[in-house]
Amino acid sequence: MNQSFYGLLLWIFLVAPPVANFMESVMVIHMHMQMPMLVIAGMLMARFFQKRFSGFFEIWNSNGVPGITLFIVIMVYWMLPRTMDEALTSHLVEGFKFISLPFLAGISLRDSWKKLNSFGKNSIIISFTVLFLGLGWLYIWSPVQLCNNYLVFQQVTLGWGFLTTSIGMVVYLGYNFFIDPSAYE
Amino acid sequence: MIKNRYTKISFFLVLIFGIGLFYIGTDGFTAFTAETARVQQLKDDKPKFPDVTLEDSMGRKYSISEFEDKYVFITFLYTSCTTVCPELEYNMKQVYDKLPSTVKGEEIVFLSISFDPERDTPAVLNEYKDYFKSDGETWRMARIPNQAQLDSLLKAFGVIVIPDDNGTFAHNSAFYLVDKKGSLMDVMDYKKIDEAAQKVNNILERGESKL
Repeated sequence: MNQSFYGLLLWIFLVAPPVANFMESVMVIHMHMQMPMLVIAGMLMARFFQKRFSGFFEIWNSNGVPGITLFIVIMVYWMLPRTMDEALTSHLVEGFKFISLPFLAGISLRDSWKKLNSFGKNSIIISFTVLFLGLGWLYIWSPVQLCNNYLVFQQVTLGWGFLTTSIGMVVYLGYNFFIDPSAYE
Repeated sequence: MIKNRYTKISFFLVLIFGIGLFYIGTDGFTAFTAETARVQQLKDDKPKFPDVTLEDSMGRKYSISEFEDKYVFITFLYTSCTTVCPELEYNMKQVYDKLPSTVKGEEIVFLSISFDPERDTPAVLNEYKDYFKSDGETWRMARIPNQAQLDSLLKAFGVIVIPDDNGTFAHNSAFYLVDKKGSLMDVMDYKKIDEAAQKVNNILERGESKL
């Protein structure tokens, strides 16, 4: 219950107009801080829903595949240059962002991740690494301004954000592959 | 076994939801950036050129009704711009050069509108127009001195202008074509000069045959 409560607090904090306006004013904060924090808020709140509707998750997401697919759908959707722009100009789209990232992506990630085997987990991380490399390349070397509401240098900053994140994931994958934690116990 | 069946169902529901979400979010997989969506929206809406007062490089003041019964080929710029605007205007010049001289001023007028009225006075515009060999008559450069009127035009035509700290602006660029009744009829890619010239030519020919 406790962590769900903190998740709810975090969500309310993120949705609060002054906080939301500030985070959305900088492109890289919008994409790489606000959006992941919304997912984290959802992951924290997931505990509450898992306890409340344990049967629901057990039946409809028994192997975690539907849940992780929903997570991927929502994440990729918010990586389209257009959706990020429209979250700034349309209240409907902004509202959908605040609902979909925590409640669709965050909860389903938490419920599905443990149910996946290591092959599934690694393929998810590898796909996101490739996707982030691609997006980083797109945002840095794109000849055109992809988002109308942000300046081009913000776009390039965002691109580097994607590249460094993907480097982080490559390091994690390498660690996972080469190092056996039990050898150090 | 039963659990598995439900999971399969929910997996397909998620897939359908995902396809639906992307379909709606990108106008049927066509517009992945807000700029393409904006252009498509403008072509569907065909907004009217608002009633604003233009002041051109010769200091003449008039509204869009000055160009009644003529097509108007429009770009938006500011003269202190060193990046996109010179390219935009140079491309506009090439479209201008590709049209037969008989139609220019008669059937169609070229108009470059500045969104920086503070600095782009008639004198500045007059000097700037010479770089592109604009005659100031069949191709005019003008500012809209009233900020509220300027904003109404930028909003109607979906031109997004963001001032930054160095006195420059980030803005989107395109060729705009307004029809004889003052409604926006097309928004064209400013990098595809031949295509734009061809399109304008076709429209002019069609317009003449109707008369």
